[in-house]
Amino acid sequence: MTKYLLKRLIRGALSIVVVVAIIMILIYTLIDRKNIFAQDAYWTKVQSNQKIVYEFTRWEEYGYLDLVMYTDWLNDLVKSGDLAAEDRDKVATIGKKAENDTAEVTEYVRRFTEYYKSQGYTVKRLEARMMTATKYLNGGKEYLFAYRDKPLTNRLWKYFTGMITVDNIHYVEEDIGERKITFTLHDPAYGGDKFAPAIMGNGTKHKYLLYFDNNFPYIHQNLVTLNIGLSYSINKGIDITNTMNDPQGKQEQRDVIYPTGLREMSADNVHTATYVAESRDKSVITQERFTDDYTRVVLYKSGFSKIGYSFIIGIISSFLAYFIGIPIGVIMARNKDKLLDKIGTFYIIFIIAVPSLAYIFMFRAIGSLFGLPTTFMMEDSGNALMYVLPIVSLALPSIAGLMRWLRRYMIDQMNSDYVKFARSGGLSENEIFSKHILKNAAIPIIHGIPGAILGSVVGGIITERVYVVPGTGNLLTSAISAYDNGVIVGVALFYATLTVVSIILGDILMAMFDPRISFSTKAR
Amino acid sequence: MNEELVKIDDLGFSEEELFSHYDFSEIESEKITAPRYSYWHSVFKVFFRKKVNIFILTLLLLVIIFSYIYPLVVSFDQYALLRDYETWHLTPGDAYRVIGFNIHTLLGTGDTGMSIWDSTWYGARTSISLAFICAAINMLIGVLIGALWGFSKKIDIVMTEVYNVIANVPYLLIVMVFIRILSPSFITLVFALTITGWLGIAYFIRTQVIIIRDREYNLASRCLGTSLFRIALKNILPFMTSVIVTLAAAEIPSYISYEVFLSYIGLGLSANEVSLGKLIEAANGAMNQFPWEFWSPVAIASIIAVVLYVAGQNLGDASDPRTHM
Repeated sequence: MTKYLLKRLIRGALSIVVVVAIIMILIYTLIDRKNIFAQDAYWTKVQSNQKIVYEFTRWEEYGYLDLVMYTDWLNDLVKSGDLAAEDRDKVATIGKKAENDTAEVTEYVRRFTEYYKSQGYTVKRLEARMMTATKYLNGGKEYLFAYRDKPLTNRLWKYFTGMITVDNIHYVEEDIGERKITFTLHDPAYGGDKFAPAIMGNGTKHKYLLYFDNNFPYIHQNLVTLNIGLSYSINKGIDITNTMNDPQGKQEQRDVIYPTGLREMSADNVHTATYVAESRDKSVITQERFTDDYTRVVLYKSGFSKIGYSFIIGIISSFLAYFIGIPIGVIMARNKDKLLDKIGTFYIIFIIAVPSLAYIFMFRAIGSLFGLPTTFMMEDSGNALMYVLPIVSLALPSIAGLMRWLRRYMIDQMNSDYVKFARSGGLSENEIFSKHILKNAAIPIIHGIPGAILGSVVGGIITERVYVVPGTGNLLTSAISAYDNGVIVGVALFYATLTVVSIILGDILMAMFDPRISFSTKAR
Repeated sequence: MNEELVKIDDLGFSEEELFSHYDFSEIESEKITAPRYSYWHSVFKVFFRKKVNIFILTLLLLVIIFSYIYPLVVSFDQYALLRDYETWHLTPGDAYRVIGFNIHTLLGTGDTGMSIWDSTWYGARTSISLAFICAAINMLIGVLIGALWGFSKKIDIVMTEVYNVIANVPYLLIVMVFIRILSPSFITLVFALTITGWLGIAYFIRTQVIIIRDREYNLASRCLGTSLFRIALKNILPFMTSVIVTLAAAEIPSYISYEVFLSYIGLGLSANEVSLGKLIEAANGAMNQFPWEFWSPVAIASIIAVVLYVAGQNLGDASDPRTHM
């Protein structure tokens, strides 16, 4: 059994890798890379040469290419001692046009060009664009840089190897004092008196590696982080794991104790502090509150995360679906070809045939007649009514699916020999249906339960879009509209993982319920 | 011993009722007589036995006339009815009062006095064509590959792995990515919906083929030396007809549904093409102001999908030989 499951898990992991690789190949080779700027406000503002350089730096950040600016190359030369610091300033400024370069600059530009051309880079020189003889056009400054496209194999390798990072005390490059990991029983974030174990680090990326608080699931860790790609336009520069997990909505003021001991009402969650080089001395505000450079914090917000919203809506709707769908399916099978069965079949046909968007809008219109809110307001988190319509819209189609399959399976079972035997043995119809037929017919239904529960995290792509639910389903559609390639890949990975896990879990659950199903070949 | 002989003529039998000599014929003696059975004849007999099917077929005919023949007769121009502000955004009732009876304004008018009736049927033509083309491609590839997949053990190993990989990603995700990669157009949509759409059908057919493949009558047929091709064509395909028709009936409405959703999120057809999804998307913005413009294409789309689905399902039921008794 364990061996079989291990094999299944490895194969599942392999197929996830293949899926992500396919999606990455499609996205990064076939979509024009300029499209990622479609929703970038800064990009529309900058002009001329500056725009080109901005594009190249973004592309480097998002893994499309390797980029070396001329000045960075000079700085490296200074670091390695090949160039004196005072000489650097002489050659750093290139001429507005190539023929305006001084002799020294020409020499260094030649060396730069030669060196990077031999490495397979393309060297690009943007000549100054002038408005008048002395005045630059907006963003028209001259630039010199070299770039090289990253091969996709390289990129795939980086993606999978860099996916899991373990925080360590050598993360910070700057001098930070004694690098260490400390364990404390009295977390300073609670004043230092309350019993609250925490593991803190110095030299690590996160200040708190493990801590307790009063938010679900109460124990939190920052030791292992999952990097499944950067978001570009949806949540600029933020990793997709955080995009899906960080709370949303308006800021929530809480009683916060800062590392300096300052106590005030603030939305800063000091447990999430991460290192930003030389950030403490930048302003008085940070100096008053923080004792070191761990100053970047996530804010407390009143809403749930994207996964949170999808999960709440999804889990309630799948419970509702099983709770309603199974009894109705049984009733339909028992009253085959009678009125109840016909009504149920009509409903099933309605759900299968009518476009899903159409019936979701129909449910929405009916709901608004009853005065239910039709759009999701994150700020209005106290209002439980806004959950009603998304839950109902998600549950009603899955009720139809459950009804349809349970009815089918039960009718198939009704003609089998064991049912005839039970009937001839004198069992009542109730007993036959509840004890024998349902038990056998429910096995394929049970297989789908883990899928329904995990699938609730995925969220209804259509439902969330219609009701403006800030969940993961909505994330995918907005990522695709905004050409946020990182998010598309990340979400595909997330979906694929959930599917693989739920199928394996479904098999295990099925084997648990049905003793006839066994995964080990020896048992038979 | 009975001495009395009766003359046959006295009994009053006619000539046909009496035994007569018949020449022995080797060819004739090999023939087995059975009631005449024609498969498709029986299918339609069973299909028309249900009165509701005649109603459904009439509706289907109307849908086809309005979405394929009506646009040929009436040329639709979004601005053809552009008159004055009074004819903009009219409900059917208002349209009757302002313009008088006119087939174009049967469902009222939209922005710039656009006829909702005409635009809906123009859109329906695109949507139905898309659904039929996608279903045809997916069914054709799916059934062919599914049959091979079910028959060959080698292909089974490869295809099952392929299926396990592709089935992990939501279909909608693949479709959306492909439309995003290519520029939106009718061809793009067909391509995106069919690139992996056949895989599910092929998997379904494969399972069905495996179930039937090893039945006794096929085993017997193989023992008698029937070629695999003939087994597939004559023994298995007739059995699969009802399965394929039922499957196709569920596929066609699903493509209409996909088109509507994809257009709704802005991933549908190009700007100058009209489809049900695009009409719904366009009317969605002013839904509270002019609900009529939104619900008309939604209702027509639903009617078309339901009619196609029910007709297909009932045809599927009728094409199952077990219902011919």
